[in-house]
Amino acid sequence: MQNRPAIVAVGRTKFGEHYGKKPEQLIEEAWLTASRECNLERRDLEACYLSDCFLPITNKLGLEEGFLSELTELHVPMEVTRSVSAALLTACHAIQAGAYNTVLVGGIEKMTDRWDKIRDDLMLLEDPWSYYAGGTPEANHELMLRAYIKKYGLTGENVEKLNLALAEVAVKNHAHALKNEYAQFQRKITVEHVLSARDAVHKPLGLYDFAPISDGASALILTSEALAKKLTDNPVYVLGCASATDYLDFPTRDDLTHFTATRIAMKNASKMAGKNPGDISIAEVYDQSTVMELVSMEDLGFCEPGTAWKSIRGNCEDYEGYYDINGRKLFVNKNGGLKADGNPLGATGGAQIFEIFRQLRGEAGERQIPEPASTGCALEFEGFGTKAYVSIFGRDHDE
Amino acid sequence: MSSEPIERRVSYLGDRLKASRCKICGKEYFEVRDYCGNCGRKSFGKMSSIDLFYEKGELELCTLVNEPTNKFMKLGRYVYGIISFHNGKIRVPGRLTDQILNNGDAIDFASFEGREVVPRFRRRYQVGRNDVVPTISLAFTLADEYYPHQEYTVVKPTKEYDLPGVVGYGVYTSRFRIKEGKLERSVPFIDEDAVTAAVEAGKLALIHSGVDSSLVGKVYVGSESNPYAVKPIASKVAQVLKLGEEDEDVQSVDAVDTEFACKAASSMFKDAAALVHYPKSGVEYAMVIGADNAQAAPRGCPGGELDVFVGFGGSAFLFGKHDVIAEIEGWYSCTSDTPDFWRRDGEPFPMHGGRFTGDPAYFKHVRKATTKLMEQLNLQPSDVDYFVTHQPNPQFPVKIAKELGFKEEQYAVSLQVNKFGNTYSGCSPLGLAAVLDVAKPEERILITSYGSGAGSDSYLLRTTSQLIDKRKRQKMTVKFQAENPFVQHVDYTTYRRLKLGM
Repeated sequence: MQNRPAIVAVGRTKFGEHYGKKPEQLIEEAWLTASRECNLERRDLEACYLSDCFLPITNKLGLEEGFLSELTELHVPMEVTRSVSAALLTACHAIQAGAYNTVLVGGIEKMTDRWDKIRDDLMLLEDPWSYYAGGTPEANHELMLRAYIKKYGLTGENVEKLNLALAEVAVKNHAHALKNEYAQFQRKITVEHVLSARDAVHKPLGLYDFAPISDGASALILTSEALAKKLTDNPVYVLGCASATDYLDFPTRDDLTHFTATRIAMKNASKMAGKNPGDISIAEVYDQSTVMELVSMEDLGFCEPGTAWKSIRGNCEDYEGYYDINGRKLFVNKNGGLKADGNPLGATGGAQIFEIFRQLRGEAGERQIPEPASTGCALEFEGFGTKAYVSIFGRDHDE
Repeated sequence: MSSEPIERRVSYLGDRLKASRCKICGKEYFEVRDYCGNCGRKSFGKMSSIDLFYEKGELELCTLVNEPTNKFMKLGRYVYGIISFHNGKIRVPGRLTDQILNNGDAIDFASFEGREVVPRFRRRYQVGRNDVVPTISLAFTLADEYYPHQEYTVVKPTKEYDLPGVVGYGVYTSRFRIKEGKLERSVPFIDEDAVTAAVEAGKLALIHSGVDSSLVGKVYVGSESNPYAVKPIASKVAQVLKLGEEDEDVQSVDAVDTEFACKAASSMFKDAAALVHYPKSGVEYAMVIGADNAQAAPRGCPGGELDVFVGFGGSAFLFGKHDVIAEIEGWYSCTSDTPDFWRRDGEPFPMHGGRFTGDPAYFKHVRKATTKLMEQLNLQPSDVDYFVTHQPNPQFPVKIAKELGFKEEQYAVSLQVNKFGNTYSGCSPLGLAAVLDVAKPEERILITSYGSGAGSDSYLLRTTSQLIDKRKRQKMTVKFQAENPFVQHVDYTTYRRLKLGM
């Protein structure tokens, strides 16, 4: 492919509750970190793609481009999407088309300002009929788990093992977040924590199976291949990116045990990148719940359908959580995932890309995976799998 | 939901569970669609509209919700899941209603999954006092519990009668009861109200009569507990039950609410009968519904004396001249301005005149209407097989029946206040339904309603042989509901909470 887009710098804020900060201050912080890293000035930007899932609802902030314009004192084209991956996809297309050479891609969300109403907002946005019927954001994940158990005929001991594997997903992600200074939850949890939280409410999934709501921002600078080489010795290329779409109402989908959109997006992104799942050694997947992570492992083609729960290995003590796939180690959600790093919807994808960028460049510090990878992949959703974005990144495009 | 257009669209699909089926490939959609996604352009004009309102589904998957979203908080904990219809051709989300789950109770999901469920028309969730009351039928009950699934089959009428009369009826009371001493009373679940009871009763009347709902030209709903001061219950009933021909999203039916305390519905029997009898009316069938979540202030407050007797439920009667099960042979009505029971606008609970509600009110009007009708038709008490009257408490109807010369075997069948409480507008019609459930052909039923304010309507009905033929179409008889093993009893605190509703 000609004119491959490259990421030259990334930045982000800590995720969590930023009670005293305006949304503008968060994106400013993320953008300044990224611009400092590659020595870029705001006037070098030719366009901005900003994402936020529902700032107009949570913060009564419409026409977000305007405040970004005030912030940067720029009058360049700006567009708003709902996720960083969507912004990245659009920015990649623009760079490949030769429209721009330097683009700011960023994301921002401030959910805790509206924590008392946020579950109603989320449900109405992502699955309105389920909302009208009394559904909650958690219920769809639990129903998917019920469907999964049924479809793969799991009974007795195997159900126990699946439940344990799901608990280990949460434990692993919390362990990863211990070494991530930006993570919302930098504390260790145990399998017992996860299980007893489920038991306490008599539900298939409990508090520790779900990602939190968060405030935060993330930013990255995307340039053309030629420019990237001038700005940094070590650009990370976007080798492939694709999206796919599924029905809004979860119950109406044909397959209740998987995310069809992920499968399609992965297929197209892999084809574009000329990679297959076996080439990927670091992945950031969208774990709004532990079930979502396990199912995504299958949808991305890392594990056979119905088997991901058998592949998770490792424990908290030695900080070695990974998936063992036919003897190969696959590291997933090294930043702590949505579960522990946090999930400010419109900014989440930026944190996923941030992590892959650092891991591919060998800059992940204490959480650096043993052998620096050459290829990484990020999966981001909008809604409950209604939109799936898969992006594949590589250290050196000639590999 | 603060937007009325959105509310209207959600209700339009969700109340009736409207769906579409492609006539080419058979694919089904939970929504009204002009074309099929599979077949594309060639399916234009080839989509048939179906709805799931009278169907049963299967609870395919479920989980427990114990931290609902804000608007569902008053429902507490409930089972929520995915319901499939037509062997999985359509799936919808839904919650199980009519279940009180206690905190700390574990739920065995597998014991619910795979079971048959019936869609129930309920309030959707809680809104502000100034908002449109949202409704939906994505609430379900287990088909093998209190409320059985019944098919609605339109039956072509075989006989036209000279006189108009009852062609079908339905009584709906909830699964919940409060029992104090010998008195049992029906209690709505938290998502029920007069509107949902009216729709349920009407639905059961259609099932019983086998009448094509598009031939119903008028519907009257009598109630004194309409959640709205202004906005008819009858329009909701007409829309959900598809009364009259549907033209786009408008029903060709006249729908109106009536109010006269406990005789708001029974008073309209004669209007419905006269309307279907008048050759130029163009109305083949008319439906009369009495439905109330009978109101009473809590005990210890002014008006709280009523709290001992109030019930919940709806009764629907369909009138026409074809396949009549009980012809109306005559009626008499009387009215006086007697303020024995009232509720001022904006007040949640009614007041009543204590001792004043007896002799100068209830007894005076029931006595007057009954004796006048009997004089008019030259009847002795022994000429009547069953006597039905309004039942504000267990004592009044017995006292007046005895005074009028009726024997226990004539009035005992209709006495239902001990099982359901006073269901206000639905009360004397419920008594009539209990009689029709067991009566034989060619029997005479005398019913006298009473409404505070005050007035009475007395009717003489004579049953026909079709009463027996139609009986097998209705499982939800009065007795079935009174003696149902799935009835659940609640304590006083729960009763007040449920009655207050969402």
